[in-house]
Amino acid sequence: MVVEVKNLVKRYKELIALDHFNMEVEEGEILGLLGPNGCGKTTAINCILSLLNYDKGEIRVFGEKMTPNSYDIKREIGLVPQEVSVFENLTVIENTDYFCGLYIDDKNKRKQYVEEAIEFVGLKDYTKFYPKKLSGGLKRRLNIACGIAHKPKLIFLDEPTVAVDVQSRNFILNGIEKLNDEGSTIIYTTHYLEEAERLCKRIIIMDKGRGLVSGTNEELKSMISTSEKIVVGFTEIEDETVQNMKNILHVMDIEKAGEDYIIKFENGFNNLANLMNFIEENQLVYTKLQSQLPTLNDVFLELTGKELRD
Amino acid sequence: MTVYKYFIKIALKNKWTILGYTIIFFSMSLISGSGATEREPKFMETRLNIGIIDNSNSELSTGLKDYLEGKHNMVDTIDDEDYIKEQIFLERADAIIIIPEDFQEKVINKEKSIKIYNDDRKIESMQIQNQINKFLMFANATYEDGKFNLANVNLALREKAKVKLANNNREKNNSINNEWFRNYYNFTSYVIIAMYIAIIGMVMTDFTDENIDSRMKISSKKFLNFNMELYLGQLTIAAIITSIFILGSIVLKGKYIGEVDFIKYVINIIVFSFTILCFTFFINNFTKNKFVISGLATVLSLATSFISGVMVPQEFLGEKTLLLAKFFPTYYFVKVNGTTVNSFSDISFNIFMQLSFAVAFILMGLYFSKAKQKA
Repeated sequence: MVVEVKNLVKRYKELIALDHFNMEVEEGEILGLLGPNGCGKTTAINCILSLLNYDKGEIRVFGEKMTPNSYDIKREIGLVPQEVSVFENLTVIENTDYFCGLYIDDKNKRKQYVEEAIEFVGLKDYTKFYPKKLSGGLKRRLNIACGIAHKPKLIFLDEPTVAVDVQSRNFILNGIEKLNDEGSTIIYTTHYLEEAERLCKRIIIMDKGRGLVSGTNEELKSMISTSEKIVVGFTEIEDETVQNMKNILHVMDIEKAGEDYIIKFENGFNNLANLMNFIEENQLVYTKLQSQLPTLNDVFLELTGKELRD
Repeated sequence: MTVYKYFIKIALKNKWTILGYTIIFFSMSLISGSGATEREPKFMETRLNIGIIDNSNSELSTGLKDYLEGKHNMVDTIDDEDYIKEQIFLERADAIIIIPEDFQEKVINKEKSIKIYNDDRKIESMQIQNQINKFLMFANATYEDGKFNLANVNLALREKAKVKLANNNREKNNSINNEWFRNYYNFTSYVIIAMYIAIIGMVMTDFTDENIDSRMKISSKKFLNFNMELYLGQLTIAAIITSIFILGSIVLKGKYIGEVDFIKYVINIIVFSFTILCFTFFINNFTKNKFVISGLATVLSLATSFISGVMVPQEFLGEKTLLLAKFFPTYYFVKVNGTTVNSFSDISFNIFMQLSFAVAFILMGLYFSKAKQKA
């Protein structure tokens, strides 16, 4: 186990930021910490990294207890913080060299690592640029270069794509996949569902400092009762007919969303075909028909009763 | 030594700040120095514009009036204090003398007999006071049997002494050079405070930025090594800045170093630099706000210079101002520069006070550092 967190409790006076939080990360995986802003993702990371004291619980990294003086463990860890944390008065190459130098003393080795990191994040043409001359996306890439240049085995990426354009976001996500392919274990916090679905082999959904559920993407979606949603719009439909739709096989619930209806189905097959039969039998004219598989947002919604982005 | 290397690198990126202060400093030194080195070949009495109000109309007051009329230009005036002060302020008169009714009695009793309105800051005031004192002293000396012998007084006043200053060039030069070095080193206190806070203080805000600090804390660089390199970087920058000004004095007045207490100035500026470095440490633990630090660099350097005797000599500052100045090391730095040193004990107290401030700043800095860690 690369990271093991047991019953972690962190309080800020009356506020409980982490409430008996548990987490296990295996070597070589990308673990996603998913949750709305303020749910405790960053606090959990800061406790694991000994940047914050915690009130209760146990944290082990690479099998050893993590403390502020665990320098041997720290050597193998990289952090890409949520905020772009670089020196405004140093160029791209100087910034990367500085942060790499906090881990690597050997000058030649460091030079090689710095060049590789800059190439990895696609900033080779910007080495002499100062951060203020870089776009938001390029700054984020520099932030990543500074966190990974020393080739850590365990990388913490704390919402690295916040306020980033689509092109840079894709570049960053591809890079993270590549880092993982090269053997790094990654702990990735985000509140973007699609990122977690794309990257993470395992996800922990957090809310109010607690880990609500954890599992693979598929495991999480199978935990909720809704297995399929069909959005349908009609030219005209009577209330009685809507009530009759509830008798279609596997239908759990029907919600009105504007002019459309969202029909939720529990586990089962041929849901769309059954709905089509009902439409034909009742001679309804539909304007829209769209089948959706459940998303992580549905998982979060069913578990907490609120949207993930609330 | 990555931290050390990049501390120096970032600090030297403030080269325009360093250059700016250095140019201002040396320009001012050159301007003030050009006047200070001129040798006055002779002393000449000047004809001043003076007004006299004689309320005594006695033999003695008439004698004094005649004596002063022969030496100065007379201006009309009236016995009204506001009017007299306006005449002095507008420089229509260099001095207005009021002779009271009981002038003779006061002179005989050796009491203060004359009221003089003048501008104390002007050297001319000394001249007129000297002449009046001389007249009255001679008049008193001739007083016999209830009468003054003004004829003898005038005779004595007409006597001119030929004074030859025997081999005093060396002493005079020493005095002029000492004054130049004293003024030069006094003024370094201003630039040292301003530059240390503006450069070292600002660079430290980058290193202590919360996010950058987090990256350092999770790195495998030991906390002690990291801080050692930071402090070494600060010492190096401080040494560079202070050396510029020590070297500056050598370049500008190197040939006179043997004539002044140069070692005193060097020891004093090193002690002061160390104290201000400690003060910068305190400031950096007190605030991370760049605007506050920038403001402090400007306000503190100027304010302490004004109240401690850098801009205006301590002799001309009020008691309350000097009392306030004693709460900052610049006061003691200026004191040492103005002290003639026969042995170390002459300056030991003021050096000790500067070092005490250094210790106090370190302790206060550590207190705020701990308080922040707890928060």
